[in-house]
Formats: sequence, C-alpha cells, structure tokens
Amino acid sequence: MDFWHRIMNIDRRWIYLLIAISVTFPMIVVMKFPVRVTPETRQLYDAINNLPDGSVVMLTFDYYPNAAAETEPMSVAALRHMFKKNMKVVTLSNIPLGGPTIAERITREIAAEYHKVYGVDYVNLGYKANYNAVMHGLANSIESIFPSDYTNTPLKDLPLMDSVRNYNDIKFIFVVADNATVDYWIQIVNAQYGVPVGAGVTAVVAPKMYSFVDAGQMTGMLGGMKGAAEYEKLVGHEGKAMRGMDAQSLAHLMIILLVIVGNIGFFVTRKKDSEKS
Amino acid sequence: MGDLTFIDHFQLWLRAYLILSLFSFLYRDNLFYRFSEHIFAGLSAGYYVGLIWQTVIIQQLVNPMIDNGDWWLVFPGLLGVLMFARLTRKWTWVSRVSLAFVIGNTAGIYLISSLHGLILPQMLSTMKAVNNSGSFSRILLAVVVIVGVISTLIYFYFSKEHKGILGATARVGIWFIMIAFGAHFGYTVMARVSLLIGRAQFLYYDWGTSIRQIF
Amino acid sequence: MRKTVPVIVAFLSGFVMVVSFFFNPERTFIGGGQEAVLQWVTIVSGFTLVLGVFSIVRVNARAVARRSKGWFYKLLTVVSVFAMAIPAMLPVSKNTVGGKIFFGIFPDNWGTLFGTGPSSIYDWLFTYVDQPMMETMFAMLAFFIASAAYRAFRARNAEATLLLLTAVLVMLWRVPMGEAFLRLFSDSFPQYINMFVMNGFNVAVQRGIIIGAALGAASMSLRIMLGIERTYMGKG
Repeated sequence: MDFWHRIMNIDRRWIYLLIAISVTFPMIVVMKFPVRVTPETRQLYDAINNLPDGSVVMLTFDYYPNAAAETEPMSVAALRHMFKKNMKVVTLSNIPLGGPTIAERITREIAAEYHKVYGVDYVNLGYKANYNAVMHGLANSIESIFPSDYTNTPLKDLPLMDSVRNYNDIKFIFVVADNATVDYWIQIVNAQYGVPVGAGVTAVVAPKMYSFVDAGQMTGMLGGMKGAAEYEKLVGHEGKAMRGMDAQSLAHLMIILLVIVGNIGFFVTRKKDSEKS
Repeated sequence: MGDLTFIDHFQLWLRAYLILSLFSFLYRDNLFYRFSEHIFAGLSAGYYVGLIWQTVIIQQLVNPMIDNGDWWLVFPGLLGVLMFARLTRKWTWVSRVSLAFVIGNTAGIYLISSLHGLILPQMLSTMKAVNNSGSFSRILLAVVVIVGVISTLIYFYFSKEHKGILGATARVGIWFIMIAFGAHFGYTVMARVSLLIGRAQFLYYDWGTSIRQIF
Repeated sequence: MRKTVPVIVAFLSGFVMVVSFFFNPERTFIGGGQEAVLQWVTIVSGFTLVLGVFSIVRVNARAVARRSKGWFYKLLTVVSVFAMAIPAMLPVSKNTVGGKIFFGIFPDNWGTLFGTGPSSIYDWLFTYVDQPMMETMFAMLAFFIASAAYRAFRARNAEATLLLLTAVLVMLWRVPMGEAFLRLFSDSFPQYINMFVMNGFNVAVQRGIIIGAALGAASMSLRIMLGIERTYMGKG
C-alpha cells in the first residue's frame, strides 16, 4: 500500500490522539490570543448593563449537564454581571435531568462571592414539568406553578417573592440553554407577554438564534464557548471559557488540517485507482 | 484551589476515574467502560424519580393539600397516576385521558405560539428588512435574506415537481442551504470540541491540583 | 367511548389556551380556568417522566432474574436507580407525618442526607458521579466528529465544496487564533463573515426552516385538537 492509501486507511485512534494532543497542549503552553467581542454578545451585555441596578431578572438553567462546558461559564458570567449590579435574580430550570441541581449549586457558589442572601437577593424556583405550561403559567402567577422553591420553602416565606408575582415584575429573562426551550421562551414569553429575552446557547443551537436576534425577538446572544469567553471579557472576570479558547483554536486548526489532508488523499487515491483500473 | 481535604481529593479522584474509564472506550470496549456506563444509566433514571417526587408529589400535591386545604388537587394527581396504566397491556386505554389532556394543552399552546410567535415576526422581519436598511451593504444583506428565505421555502416544498421557475428557485435555495449548513457544521465542531475541552480542563487543572498536592 | 372521551378532553384542554390568547386572563372569566388547567398540566406531565423509569427497572430486573447475558451490568443499573431515588424520597425533617415516624427511628441530623437539597446523597451522587459521566459521554463526540470529518467530508461536487469552504471559514472565524489569521487578509474580514455568512445566508435559511417547521407544527396542533390526529393514543 502506498503512502496515500495508508493515510486514507489510518486507524481512527491516531486521529483521536491528535485531537487529544491539540486540546491538552495549549494548557501546558499558554498562547492567549485576544478574544474579540461580537455584536450579538455586546447587545446582550448592554441589555443587562442598561437595566437599573436592583432590577429583578430571571436566569434560566435550561441545559443538560453534558453541555455544561459551554453553558456553565455563561451562567457564571451572567450571575456575576447581575450580582455586580445588585440585581435580584430568580432562577429556574426546565430541564428534568440535572437542571435544578446545577442551578442550586452555581447560584449559591457565585452568590457567596458577592455576599448575597438567599430569599432576599436571589431565589431558585427549581423545576416543574412541561415547559410550555410553565412559561404560560408564570404569566398569571409564579406561585400557581411554583408553590415553593427548590428546597421546599414556600414562596410566601421568601421576601424577594413578595414583589415578584409574575412576568410584569421581571425586567429581563436571560436564558442559558442547549436545546429548543429557548425557542419557546421567545415565541411564548417574548411574543405574548412582551418580556425581553436574551440567550446564551450552545454552538449547535446558535446558528438558528441569529434569525431571532435579527428579527428583534431576542436581545443578543452568546454562541458556544467563544460567546461565553466574550461575555467573561466584558464582565471582567476570566473564567473557564477564556482559558479554553487556546485549546479551541488549536483543535479547530487540527480538524481543518485533517479535512484538507483527507480531501487531498481522496483525490490522489481516486486518481491512482482510476489509472490502475 | 487552596489546600484540599481528604473528601476533596476523594471526589476529584472519583470523577477522574469515571472520566478516564469512559474515555477508555476510545481505545477499545472494556469492563471499566461498561461498569461506568451502566451506573450512569441507572443514576440518570433515578434522578427523574427523586426530582418528580419532590417537585410534583410533595410540592404540588401533598403540601398544598395538607397546608392549604386544596383537596381538589387530588384530581390532577389521579390523572397522573392513571398514566401508569400504560405499563399494562389490558388497561392501556385508561391512560389516554391523561395523555390527551397534556397533548391537547400543548397543541393549543403550539397553535398560537407558532403562528403568533414564530411565523408572523419572522415574516415581518424579512419583509421590513429592505425598508429599514441604511447603507448599501445593509440593503444587499436584506436582499440576500429575502431571496434566501423564499428559495429555501421553495426548496422544501415537495408537493410540486421542481421544474421551470420553481426548479431554478429551488437550485438557488440549495446554494443558500449549503452555505448555511456549512456554517452550522463549523458551529457543531466548535460545540463538540468545547465539551472535550471541559473534560481536559478538569483533568489538567482540578485533578492535576490534587495530584500535585498528594505527590 | 375509549377514543371519544380523550378526543374531547384534548380539544377542551387546548381550546382553553387558544381562547385565553384572545381574552385577557386577568380581566375575563378565562383567567382562573387557564391558571388551573396549566397547573394540572404541569402535575400530570411530571408523572409521564417517571413512566420511562418504571419501564427501565422492569426490563432490567427481568433480565437479572433470568440471568440473561450481561445480567450483572443490568443489576448495576437497577441498583443505581434505587441508590439515587430512595434517599431523595425520604423525609428531610420532622415537619411531616412521615418525618415524625422516620426520625423517631433514625437520628435527626440524618435529615440533610435525604431529599434533593444541597449536601444530600441525591445531590452528591448527581454532582460527583452522574454529571461527570454525562459530560464525558458527550465529550467523546469531539473525537468522533474529527474522525468523521477526516473520512467523510469530501469536496465531491460544487455544493459539497461550498459547504466545506463555509465550514472551514466559520471554524477559523470562531476561534481567536483563526480570527487573527483572517485579519491578516483584512481587518474587516471577520466582520463580513458575521454580517454576510451568519446574518445573511444563515439567517435566510434558518428563517425558511423556522417558518416551514412552524407551519407544520401549527397544522399538526390543529389536527390533534380537532381529533383528526390520534396516533398519540396508541393502539386498542
């Protein structure tokens, strides 16, 4: 077998090894290329920044744990931004596998850094089934859908919820999602109840969100780990997303190289095989 | 990260073991991978039970019935229990009412939200785009969007054969779709790589800290 | 009867939502009705999530009882389900009837281990066992997508070449190193990719797909509400 045929039939585990090296190498040799902010991220950041200090906002944890590498930095950066502006944060999750647990852990962790008090500065409502019904139900009364928070404390015992009854009391909804729930926040909550919605989404979902941003249905968007890195830069707190950008760069270059080599090999071997036959 | 306690070390090593045991599948299927995989499946299933018990049964049924006297909640509770009739062959039909209640409600929501929340705003934005534009590049962009939306919709219209003007427009649609799907593929690669970076970051920074502190 | 009653229930349940769009729930008769229906829906929907778990336990338990191939792994699955579910279902304090009985036998300070709150067994198993494995399962996709891109991503014709070139351009644009490389050609190059590729071609196609899918969803919803579509009921 000649060189190109060997290359084309290479064991896939060598490719796995190349990817593993391209992801780990930048952690040892740090390069730190500058992260530039895209207009969509800037739009979302400005939307939160322009809200008066102390406003009530909703932050949703609508992502499965498997997407946490992209979405957790977004949630963390969003919380830091909101707490810096002394905003009152109401969190919830529409994801039955892990969403409310992740929401509880992250909000308490970040709130502790900013000395925020649970029940006064932030509340985690938890999870309720059927996100369509939940989104509609919150428009009437939050308490009708969530009689208590995630840890079973009745809402009437939480001072923050005295002044937050439904969407009329919420100034902005920051959705962090890895699936279609963000579509429903837009088409139900933004369209029917007029609450501004912005979202941080995984890179798989991001291309679709451009239509909503363009139509004005969504106020800004974070797309994938790069979007999270941009938001971290704007908030002024380097986190996992910014640290991961070097690895992202090298891995992308490696995959582009693999595609180029694969195509060259394809055309060369195809030509050789047709000459032989 | 600071000085780690014994529990911290244990938790970090446990997570590292689980991550590496799953990654071992990339080399070859093995005992460690299967062990971890089946535990993962079981824990994920168990998570649902615990969550629904607390959030639905306790918070939405038991507590309101006992604390607030909302005894009428026994009816949705009963509807929910009827759902389990699906597990039997003889009594499956009993669960239809519960299913119909949920699916009918969702259908009602979708009917309005897809028309009012998706189709109308998206169409409006496409039509207004040219009018609202300022510079030449914005006008060009608006024209690209209008042509793209129409040609994409026509490409996916299969009730008529793609011939003549319809066929030509569909061909334009294909070009638009190839560019959009190429962009989508680029984003998808980014997403998958990001997930791997998350694991690598844990192994290098978090587990690495534990190793450095122990050794 | 077995099909008529569910069809009527589906229609009424959906009709409430349609009518409430046109009549402001805060000021008309529909208000309380809509709130009650939505509350009921969230309760009933919760039970559907647990249905699958019963099925998993039943199938795996039968395999263990029969000692079929791989029964030990299936036993692990069943044990894991109970290890997660049972601590979450136990009472957390003496405030309930069940709690009074339970903590009459066990020490009071065990309460923090139960339920789904922070520092419970449920929380610990999820955070330190389940979540890392879930993240890892999906992280493996990076390797598979690289391998698939190497083997299958071919510029066989003009359309495929266009797809490939756009993918490469976007992959470069979305990373700092790639963006720096693109800026060597022109400072505005990344901006033009964002403007024309993502906000131009991509928006156009995504919008077309959104509109098409939304039309399909609306028509399917109408069919379900009117009882024309009954496949969700199953056989019998």
